[in-house]
Amino acid sequence: MSAAPLTAQLSPGAGAFAIVVGAAIAFGAVPLFGSDYLMDAVLTPFLALALAAVGLNLLTGYAGQVSLGSAAFLAVGAYATYNLHLRLPQLSLIVDLVLAGLVAAAIGIVFGLPSLRLRGFYLAVSTLAAQFFVQWALTKFGWFSNDNPSGVIDAPVLSVAGVTFTSPAGRYVFSLSVVVVATFLTLRLLRSQSGRNFIAVRDHELAAKVIGVPLLRTKLLAFGVSSFLIGIAGALWAFAYLRTVEPAGFNLDRSFQILFIIIIGGLASLRGAFLGAAFIVVFPLILSRAGAALLGGVFDSGVLEMSQRIVVGMLIIAFLIAEPRGLIALWDRLWRVVTRPAAIRNT
Amino acid sequence: MTAMMTNAGILALEAAPAEAAARALAIGNAGDRVHAKVTDRADRPVLALTDIALTFGGVAALRDIDLAVAPGEIRAVIGPNGAGKSSLLNVVSGLYRPDRGQVWLGERAFVQVPTARLAAHGVARTFQNLAIFKGLSVFDNVLMGLAHRVRAGFLRQIIGSPRARRIEAENRAAAEDVIGFLHLGDVRERAAGSLPYGLQKRVELARALVARPTLLLLDEPFAGVTLSEKLELSEHVRNARDRYGATIVLIEHDIGVVMGLSDRIAVLDNGSKIADGTPDEVRADQTVIDAYLGVAHQDVTELAV
Repeated sequence: MSAAPLTAQLSPGAGAFAIVVGAAIAFGAVPLFGSDYLMDAVLTPFLALALAAVGLNLLTGYAGQVSLGSAAFLAVGAYATYNLHLRLPQLSLIVDLVLAGLVAAAIGIVFGLPSLRLRGFYLAVSTLAAQFFVQWALTKFGWFSNDNPSGVIDAPVLSVAGVTFTSPAGRYVFSLSVVVVATFLTLRLLRSQSGRNFIAVRDHELAAKVIGVPLLRTKLLAFGVSSFLIGIAGALWAFAYLRTVEPAGFNLDRSFQILFIIIIGGLASLRGAFLGAAFIVVFPLILSRAGAALLGGVFDSGVLEMSQRIVVGMLIIAFLIAEPRGLIALWDRLWRVVTRPAAIRNT
Repeated sequence: MTAMMTNAGILALEAAPAEAAARALAIGNAGDRVHAKVTDRADRPVLALTDIALTFGGVAALRDIDLAVAPGEIRAVIGPNGAGKSSLLNVVSGLYRPDRGQVWLGERAFVQVPTARLAAHGVARTFQNLAIFKGLSVFDNVLMGLAHRVRAGFLRQIIGSPRARRIEAENRAAAEDVIGFLHLGDVRERAAGSLPYGLQKRVELARALVARPTLLLLDEPFAGVTLSEKLELSEHVRNARDRYGATIVLIEHDIGVVMGLSDRIAVLDNGSKIADGTPDEVRADQTVIDAYLGVAHQDVTELAV
């Protein structure tokens, strides 16, 4: 079961082997041999966004409840972790993270209540309330940012049981561990009856109700777990990646970015969340590098920045038309093409 | 009639609501030999409607409907389009609240049946327009029919507590059984949405059967399927009754299929029950023939002119 997310089509032995190799590369080779730039500017934000996308995908992809409030829950997770660390210093960082996730979950459940009556676009608009309310509250009440005039918080040193994670490699390994554990538990949830209930509510709410799926509990569970994951992602984003954040950093653009990740990656697929996050993080970097190398002398950086957005936007549209099920569908198709000749040879 | 009164008396000693249920039986099937002889408590109707009326903005969808369905019966409710068949099923499954009357499920009476508790009361239904979960595999669709049995919290499900694992194992075994029974084994891992229409209908039937309902409501199970699928599906419905002991109420537009399948047939026209009896009785009934062949409508036209 644990072998599933990346290796669904492999035999159990090959799946276990792939997991071991993957873990050795991710936890061993990358921190040892990777550059600081790779870990600091690429992999750590990728992991935080991927976890946020896993959270949103659970809510939107699996349970069918559209949300535009992701950035709000990122912010709640970040500020909750900050305050727990500041005001209850005796707690371990891991406990802080879990509690911050629970705070985000509680707020997610409150803003999920309209889902009992609203659907689709109407629900999406009502989740905007979370977006604006949280940003407003964090700016308005100085307590959240320890009375910093602009609401900026500085990340404490990441340390668990005496081990500190200050270097880029350390922060990357910390993020990776959190994301792996959280994703694994999410996968377990999605494969349980609760996970099937999510899809049932998404695909046919009335039939789900007649069968005896508790609609209220299922929807609120989706909002709660989703916000929990996004909250933890927010803590990673703030403390492992940026290390100095302000409420304005968690604006609607960020919510849209996470929504794009799951649409591009593939709805209702955890692997898709990772692929989409990789695309959103890596692609602009490649594009700006290429742009600077090719046209750096011709255009200034501002023009490059804008044209990069235009290209990303066009690619999103192209993707949605060519493959509405996202990158993961392309990946699976490619995988089948690669493995089919081998299968024929074996038989 | 004497026998029936006695029957009501006996039942009343055992459980108070039974008296009303027996009365419903008497009203619903006045003059019916089979039910007049009933003395056994087990033969209390699985489903009884008493004096149900339903209107939508002044338009009567159902008028004074009485219906009693005996245990183990396959009961068809037929009628032309707009006769109120679907409304009737929606009243039974609690999607509509009738203006008047009661719905009896076994010995419990409801003004409006609680839809969310339907499965817990042993009632399952299918929908006229397919209501399968397209994104789930066939097996998981069937497993969903037991959703109401999963009483372990989500944390227990994540960590796989003994209780959660036991429930999951029981449910999987039950689903496996129904999958075999309805010959869905070959497609069990396929996404349900990718199957042909007739198979999807069968998946929906499997999902309804897996909880071993005492009452199974089928909303136009034969609509939109080919003739060979119709024959196959009606065989499955009969087997569902014989093997799983489910009492079946099915709504059907097409009178042909249900004649051979049903034990008894109720005919609705214009919101009223115009006939109720064995297929032979219904086939010979002049009001039914008029309703289906439109003789009455001709009269109306003449009057209008």
